[in-house]
Amino acid sequence: MATVTYTQATRIYPGTERPAVDHLDLEIGDGEFLVLVGPSGCGKSTSLRMLAGLEDVDEGSIHIDNRDVTHLPPKARDIAMVFQNYALYPHMTVYENMAFALKLRKTSKAEIDRRVKEAAGLLQLEEYLGRKPKALSGGQRQRVAMGRAIVREPQVFLMDEPLSNLDAKLRVQTRTQIASLQAKLGITTVYVTHDQIEAMTMGHRVAVMLDGVLQQVDTPRALYDKPSNVFVAGFIGSPAMNIKTVSLTDGGAKFIDMIVPLTREEVEKARANGGGDKVTIGFRPEDCDLVGPTEGGLPVVVELVEDLGSDANVYGHAALDGVSERFVVRTDRRHMPNMGDTVFVKPRADHNHAFHAATGERI
Amino acid sequence: MRRAHAFLIAWAAVVTLPLLWAVVSSLKTDREILTSPWSLPATPRFDNWSRAWNQADIGRYFGNSAVVVGCALLLTMLLGATTAYALARYPFRGNRILYFGFVAGMLFPVFLALVPLFFVVKQLGLLGTYPGLILVYTAYALPFTIFFLHAFFRTLPTALAEAAFLDGCSHWGVFFRVMLPLARPGLVTVAIFNFLGLWNQYLLPLVLNPDPDRYVLAQGLAALSVSQGYRSDWSGLFAGLTIAMLPVLAAYVIFQRQIRSGLTAGAVR
Repeated sequence: MATVTYTQATRIYPGTERPAVDHLDLEIGDGEFLVLVGPSGCGKSTSLRMLAGLEDVDEGSIHIDNRDVTHLPPKARDIAMVFQNYALYPHMTVYENMAFALKLRKTSKAEIDRRVKEAAGLLQLEEYLGRKPKALSGGQRQRVAMGRAIVREPQVFLMDEPLSNLDAKLRVQTRTQIASLQAKLGITTVYVTHDQIEAMTMGHRVAVMLDGVLQQVDTPRALYDKPSNVFVAGFIGSPAMNIKTVSLTDGGAKFIDMIVPLTREEVEKARANGGGDKVTIGFRPEDCDLVGPTEGGLPVVVELVEDLGSDANVYGHAALDGVSERFVVRTDRRHMPNMGDTVFVKPRADHNHAFHAATGERI
Repeated sequence: MRRAHAFLIAWAAVVTLPLLWAVVSSLKTDREILTSPWSLPATPRFDNWSRAWNQADIGRYFGNSAVVVGCALLLTMLLGATTAYALARYPFRGNRILYFGFVAGMLFPVFLALVPLFFVVKQLGLLGTYPGLILVYTAYALPFTIFFLHAFFRTLPTALAEAAFLDGCSHWGVFFRVMLPLARPGLVTVAIFNFLGLWNQYLLPLVLNPDPDRYVLAQGLAALSVSQGYRSDWSGLFAGLTIAMLPVLAAYVIFQRQIRSGLTAGAVR
């Protein structure tokens, strides 16, 4: 068990200008489950591979438990990794796959056998130990890949989108299995995904990345409640938050006739640093109500209603300053509007997120 | 469909009948061969084979061929696999140039190199020796081997090598424990091709291997048919031919499945 520390870690691929990972500072606690999340190409996998030793670190350093591993080869780092395509050795049986790393370290046969059997029991793989990977289903292969990591009893687990090759149902099931397995083993884990639901449900903390830059690291709840900038606000949550840049008045942000109230402090901050008299306001689809025409809501023309069974997503548009803008509202199924209706949307007080119009930072 | 089958049958007949005829002839007496060339032998005469093996020295030539081709094959596969792997998986300055250098070796007509090759081998003091022939065979077979295996190693997933590194392999470990076993179909295929090519090699030994004691099979058979002159031992010659064919045939039959899977595996991408 160990802590992991990235200090100003930077990776610039040869022949490119922009760093794939740009001065990453990140501390991961002992036994923590940290999820790296972001859109494709944001540098999350590269960060993980830097920790694994599969990618060079061009600047800065990486420590595992205060040991500088920045330029150590992968095998000297005592880490195990689960790959997206599992990377099982096709010419070895499940048993041999799991025993391979231990065999290389000259672990005794009895010890190897004990550990492999134990991991196989944990993952319900006992009956498949003699099979080759090609004779296994996708879910079983995924478990073998997990088993190969577990038997190592490494200091850190690395997982690179380990669920993306499973079908939707199995993914949800395996998600909980991995999370509970990690809790049981207590091994520090870094998990990469592009799926924000995986990130929110599995991670103790979640690190959101964009264009190689770390945007925010926090608990899932804090990310949801207090996104530190416009990108995080839009990335976390489904359907995505309604984020619009509108005119600023002394009392708040002006959506046609509806005013989203802001404190005087917030208004001042929004005006500073070239914000002008604009402000970016976000409110989540689940944080607003459909109100009557006279209650000061924003008139939205309904384009599409998604009935999800438990509730419904209403998609529509409204003209802000002459520009048609899209809005999403989650509503009770019993009050579902029809297409073409005009509904009046009112964000709940205290559930708004205000961002600086120029910098995108939270106010 | 029918027409295609008829064509294939005809083609197979054209290819196999002469071979079968040679095998059948190896079991006849000289008289039978000359008087009734199409008939089956009255009694199969396996003594033709032993005569060819012992008296016509086919046995010794066979041994020479086995030593030279075996060693050359081993060396070719070892050097070819390591070179192809390094070229396919490690980017370094001059990688492409080296690779194209090897590929260019395939385009070079051996015929043009014969005279200089003769002098090179002679000055190395290797003329008419096993090592001389083995080295030349290896150099001859390497370009194709590297070309073929290079393509093969490229198709193997990078993640496997990375997983092996993380599991604690060194570069050699990754190569020998993971990549080489995965490349087995490709290795077998290219080894068979090389075996066929080297086993039937005639031109190179003709120039570089003048010592009759060290003749390889192709040379021996040629010598046999030439030296006979009018005192012909046709059945012995056919028996020698058949003996020369057998290892090739055996190798093909044994590895048939792997050759086919190797060919397609190499062809995809």
